[in-house]
Amino acid sequence: MAFLRSQNDVETRLCTAVNVAIQAGDADQLQSIVLLEPGIGNVFPPDHQELIGSLQSNYPATDDDAEQRLEELIKRVVTETADSEDEEGRPVQSWGSLVTFLVGWMTFLRDMDTNNLVLIFELMTDLQPRANSALQHPTKGILMLPTIMYYAKVFARVAVGLDKKPHLIQHLITEAEEGQRESLPEKAANIVRQAFIICLNDRNTAPGGVRDGKPDGKKAGIYKMANICLKTLFQADKLGSCETIFTNITNSSPPLHIYPAAERTTFLYYLGRYHFSNTNFYAAQLVLEVAWLGCHKQCLSQRRLIAVCLVAANLILGRFPTEKIYKDPAAEGFREVFVPITQAIRKGDLESFRRITNLNLTHPSVDFMMRYRIFYPIGNYCEVLVWRSLIRRVFAISGVVGEGDKAAALLDLNATLHVFRLLEARAQIKNAAMAAQDGGPGRRNMGHIFQDHASTNKSTYIDPDFVGMDGVEPSNLEMDLLEMECICGSLITQGFINAHISQSRSALVVQGVKKQGLAAGFPVPWEVNKEKNMENCNDEVLGWKKEAGVEGGKVVRLQFAAPAGS
Amino acid sequence: MSGSAQGSNDMKKAVVNDSKNTEQPLALEKKPTTQLEEDDEFEDFPVEDWAEEETQIPAGNTHLWEESWDDDDTNEDFAVQLREELKKLGK
Repeated sequence: MAFLRSQNDVETRLCTAVNVAIQAGDADQLQSIVLLEPGIGNVFPPDHQELIGSLQSNYPATDDDAEQRLEELIKRVVTETADSEDEEGRPVQSWGSLVTFLVGWMTFLRDMDTNNLVLIFELMTDLQPRANSALQHPTKGILMLPTIMYYAKVFARVAVGLDKKPHLIQHLITEAEEGQRESLPEKAANIVRQAFIICLNDRNTAPGGVRDGKPDGKKAGIYKMANICLKTLFQADKLGSCETIFTNITNSSPPLHIYPAAERTTFLYYLGRYHFSNTNFYAAQLVLEVAWLGCHKQCLSQRRLIAVCLVAANLILGRFPTEKIYKDPAAEGFREVFVPITQAIRKGDLESFRRITNLNLTHPSVDFMMRYRIFYPIGNYCEVLVWRSLIRRVFAISGVVGEGDKAAALLDLNATLHVFRLLEARAQIKNAAMAAQDGGPGRRNMGHIFQDHASTNKSTYIDPDFVGMDGVEPSNLEMDLLEMECICGSLITQGFINAHISQSRSALVVQGVKKQGLAAGFPVPWEVNKEKNMENCNDEVLGWKKEAGVEGGKVVRLQFAAPAGS
Repeated sequence: MSGSAQGSNDMKKAVVNDSKNTEQPLALEKKPTTQLEEDDEFEDFPVEDWAEEETQIPAGNTHLWEESWDDDDTNEDFAVQLREELKKLGK
């Protein structure tokens, strides 16, 4: 970079360049001057290299007046920070916060050591709020947006990197309110979040924050800033801290669709993951499908991350991927993982389902599911679908539909229990081939007993407090009729079976089957889930701003915004 | 309910074969090594904005999901096994 080399000292030259960038309204140029890190080859541009040396000798950290002298120099050279008038003669207030920021930037360069992450984090903790303050200037602040984005990324990277080295950062972890410990990524995200709030609350925009179909003023930075905060919080596993960001957006953001595709897609990915982790699978699939369909077709790694979560959410809701999804190049390997699960659900094959989701983590699909964090959700939430299919199957084989018009269709719960117990017991046998030959008590292949502890082991544990009491027996965790009734009750309550339980007959009384067939008694799970969610939310998703709110939405009051991690 | 002895043998054979294909009985004692790893990073997009034409997946964007998937094939292995099992109960 050749920043006006005629000037004498490097501080003046760079400050002059800053002033020129502001005069030209060139935010990207400003960002390219206030560098934080060396570039390719670990070297700064010559001007910056010279600046660091000059600051260290002429404005050393040991000199108490150094910052004061820098401030005076900046004020003198960067005239754009003084009071001025706009083209129409209206007064423009001074931009003192930029002076403070530039002093902070210079001392950062002077003091930082690229090998000392802890020091860089501490310096950034001081510098980032200065950049945020400079962003706050009503008219010129917007020029700070690219700089803030760039700083926030560096800050987040340092925080996440340090978070993985706990021995380095013990002294930096502070007790937040109520004794909770705030991790470094949360601390960084909270500081960056202030910039997000400034963008969100910019009053200096066209009504609603939209001009000519594009976000106006600092509102252009809302999703850029939100995405950095979300990325930081996700990398630090602090998903719970994302909620205030989504609430703020719902309250005050212009609609998402007017933002560039990269910001939209990234934001919807995090929003979908957030809802998925909160078990709002319906909301998750709504946003993830939009993200997936809107993702650039050549960006396979991003599309893959979206697709994994999208498919998992749909599986849980009872929708299976078609060939269209399996054929997406971003979905490589999906078929091997998801088809066995959908097969188990289709058939009601509880044994196979248990094998796939077994907590001993031996199934070949486990690595994939653990990596993408869908193992537990699928194991926990697809189970009901397997139950439903199995009961439907048993009903189709052995259900008794009475003769008369009004006669009920009965499913013997003892027979159902027998099948459930058999499949659960088989799933305990580690060797699937031997399990397949297991014909149940009396017809059992005993080969596995010699190598397989779990399948034959029954609990003998009784709590010491209860030893010797009458009628106390160890629980062997085998299903009984009561549990079978509970399973049926759960399916009935969730709307997956249209029936009631007759305890006197130990039977499930399935309704509508006689006249309308199986579908009346066992409705399509996706339809059931969809209807339930439409009643509750009508496709409204927290954090997904589809339409402009009344007069640009509500104002976010900072005093109510809890910090992330609270 | 109509499973014959013939059907039963076929079923047994098929199931054993199936299991051999998907499981490795000798590798059963493998210790679980999987752990929750660091979240895969959602990388920044190389371009900021793109048109709708740039988003199409090769197979098209309709009929992505199968909603009605109940398996009513009474002759596949699992159904036959269940029928046999229930038959033993006199069902």
